[in-house]
Amino acid sequence: MVRNRARHDPRTEPAAEALRLVKVTKSYGTAESTVTALDGVTLGLARGTFTAVMGPSGSGKSTLLQCAAGLERPDAGIVRVDGTELTGAGETELTRFRRGRVGFVFQQYNLLETLTVAQNTVLPLKLAGRRVDRRRATEILTAVGLGDRLGHLPDQLSGGQRQRVAIARALVAEPRVIFADEPTGALDTRSARDVLALLREAVRVHGRTVVMVTHDPVAASWADSVLFLADGRLAGRMDAPTADAVAERLAHLGDDAPVGV
Amino acid sequence: MLVLALRSVRQRPGRFLATLLSAFLGAAIVMAFNSLHDTAGAPGVDAVSSETLRTAAGVVGGYGTLLVFFAVASTLTVNVRQRAAELELLRCSGATPGQIRRMVVSEALAVALVGTAAAVLPAVLGGRLLVELFQDTGQVAASVDHSFGAVALSSGVGVTLVASAGAALLALRRVTRGRRRTVRRRSWLAWAALAAGAVAASSTFAFSATDEMLMAFPAQGAILLSVGFALLAPRLLSGVLGRLALGGASGWLAVRNLRRRAGELSGILMALILFTAVSTATLTMQAVESDEVAASGMVKSVDAKTLETLNYTVVGIIVAFVCVMLVNSLYAATTYRGREFGQQRLAGATPGQVLGVVGVEGLVLTVVGLLFGTLAALAGIVPFTVVRGDAVLPEQLAGVWAAVATVGAAATVGTSLFTARRVLRIPAVRAVGASA
Ligand SMILES: Nc1ncnc2c1ncn2[C@@H]1O[C@H](COP(=O)(O)OP(=O)(O)OP(=O)(O)O)[C@@H](O)[C@H]1O
Ligand SMILES: [Mg+2]
Repeated sequence: MVRNRARHDPRTEPAAEALRLVKVTKSYGTAESTVTALDGVTLGLARGTFTAVMGPSGSGKSTLLQCAAGLERPDAGIVRVDGTELTGAGETELTRFRRGRVGFVFQQYNLLETLTVAQNTVLPLKLAGRRVDRRRATEILTAVGLGDRLGHLPDQLSGGQRQRVAIARALVAEPRVIFADEPTGALDTRSARDVLALLREAVRVHGRTVVMVTHDPVAASWADSVLFLADGRLAGRMDAPTADAVAERLAHLGDDAPVGV
Repeated sequence: MLVLALRSVRQRPGRFLATLLSAFLGAAIVMAFNSLHDTAGAPGVDAVSSETLRTAAGVVGGYGTLLVFFAVASTLTVNVRQRAAELELLRCSGATPGQIRRMVVSEALAVALVGTAAAVLPAVLGGRLLVELFQDTGQVAASVDHSFGAVALSSGVGVTLVASAGAALLALRRVTRGRRRTVRRRSWLAWAALAAGAVAASSTFAFSATDEMLMAFPAQGAILLSVGFALLAPRLLSGVLGRLALGGASGWLAVRNLRRRAGELSGILMALILFTAVSTATLTMQAVESDEVAASGMVKSVDAKTLETLNYTVVGIIVAFVCVMLVNSLYAATTYRGREFGQQRLAGATPGQVLGVVGVEGLVLTVVGLLFGTLAALAGIVPFTVVRGDAVLPEQLAGVWAAVATVGAAATVGTSLFTARRVLRIPAVRAVGASA
């Protein structure tokens, strides 16, 4: 059951703590070969903050985001988003909850091939039965630099352009918490900067909470703080990060937790 | 390449199941009917029995060959299309088109061989059953023994292997080459089929009510018209969808999906149109004919009986094949959409909404398929009943049509929903990641 103080109505007051994970554990695989992707992660993020998650490839960053967004079910532990506990709810219930509160930008783009850029962007609103504000959608798409591509299909776009549609889609639904998995991974420096500015605007202007996975110290330096992950465990935190300090710390992280690449 | 082919069959046997089933069913039918040639050729069979057996073997054998070809081609096309990415990867890692062709054809042949081998026993039993059927109705002498020999075996193996190899090549071409040429050729063929069908159906009026051949022309007419419609299926579907606007998020998504996938879905629509037309036309006309004969108090001649048996058998076979094609194409197409469903779910669709989309899509396909199939069937039925009886629409039509529509709708919507439900069990994030 989604147990919540705030019910499903997105108009209720946002909770002070946007995200809380308590001893979240998640492993993949069968009995013979299990990979522990998350190993007892506990963390809390305040509302209106911009947090970057960093760590070596395979350290569990995507899994962390997916568990936090209710897309993967943790094996153990508690996940609370915007004051609502997600643990144990069915897919339909979780989906209904996510619609109003959670936006997700995926590592793969996940746009529907049959829908145009504009249609993809407003799809979450349509599915939620919410009013579709086309002007606002066009505004956001223009902000991500796709104002002239509204009628294009995803396969007519470059990887970076698709990534930006995905970001616009996450923003249009005006969620309280936005999870972004390497949103700038496929972008050139300039578009990356545009996207990061959008995410930061969502935090500063609209009071949303953003959690972003990235491998890029420069992208991480846009955040208020950085969480480091290694081998499925939290391995440190840095507030007011600069690109150099983050890069330094990452290199160090690599020493403790070597990854077999 | 052969090793690669065998390995790919062994590792993913599920993907070849439908092809195997088509080859198996096809080989079983071809062999069962061709064993009638063996039976007729055995020493001591009288002329009448031999004639009946050979007619049946000839008619159904011919149909069977065509059907095997279409069914295997349809399942293989689905299979090759699903693996387009894998084949592209092979090409990029240095496989020549010739090597890829050899691999796909070898796979098809391997599957066909297994299917044929498995079909021998059912074919022997089926052939025996056929002979008994003819003996029960007095069309074949009771002393005739069923025999299963060289003709049955060689035709079964030959037809299935040749059809599979040909179908594999066709499937590869369809998937890898551009569509332009085939589209033009296809629409030319479609109009030819429609014209021929119209001529055949109207020539019914040249016959009298008691002519033995009366049923042949409207039946052929209906079949030809349905082939014409089937070939035009992608365009018919686009035409209907252009005017269609459905409410709700599920309806909205369904119409958009169908529009973009009109080309892919035309195979399914084709099967539906053929199924509806052939079964409605043949079953209705046969029912009218039997009732008329019964009403006039005449005893059926051996020829009329043979015709009736054949009609029912042919319809039975066509229905079975088309159902396999339909169910397989839909099953494969729906399974293949796991990623797309995952994307819808991640965009905020509940599992119920995804099922809604799939259901609406199936329903639209069913309605369009039934519409054009029924049109083709009526073009044959109306001339026939006008000449044979006095009515324009026979009273037998309603019952037959209802049964046909129920089977068609159940197969289409049922398969889609059933498969989608299974696909939805995989968590959305994984469904999306799996094929990325
Ligand atoms: N669906 C899955 N099935 C099995 N194992 C998985 C699955 N998803 C992730 N894993 C494993 O869990 C671990 C963590 O994966 P995760 O995707 O969270 O890493 P990541 O930190 O996001 O890496 P990257 O930076 O490469 O995206 C990895 O060892 C991975 O192999
Ligand atoms: Mg990742």
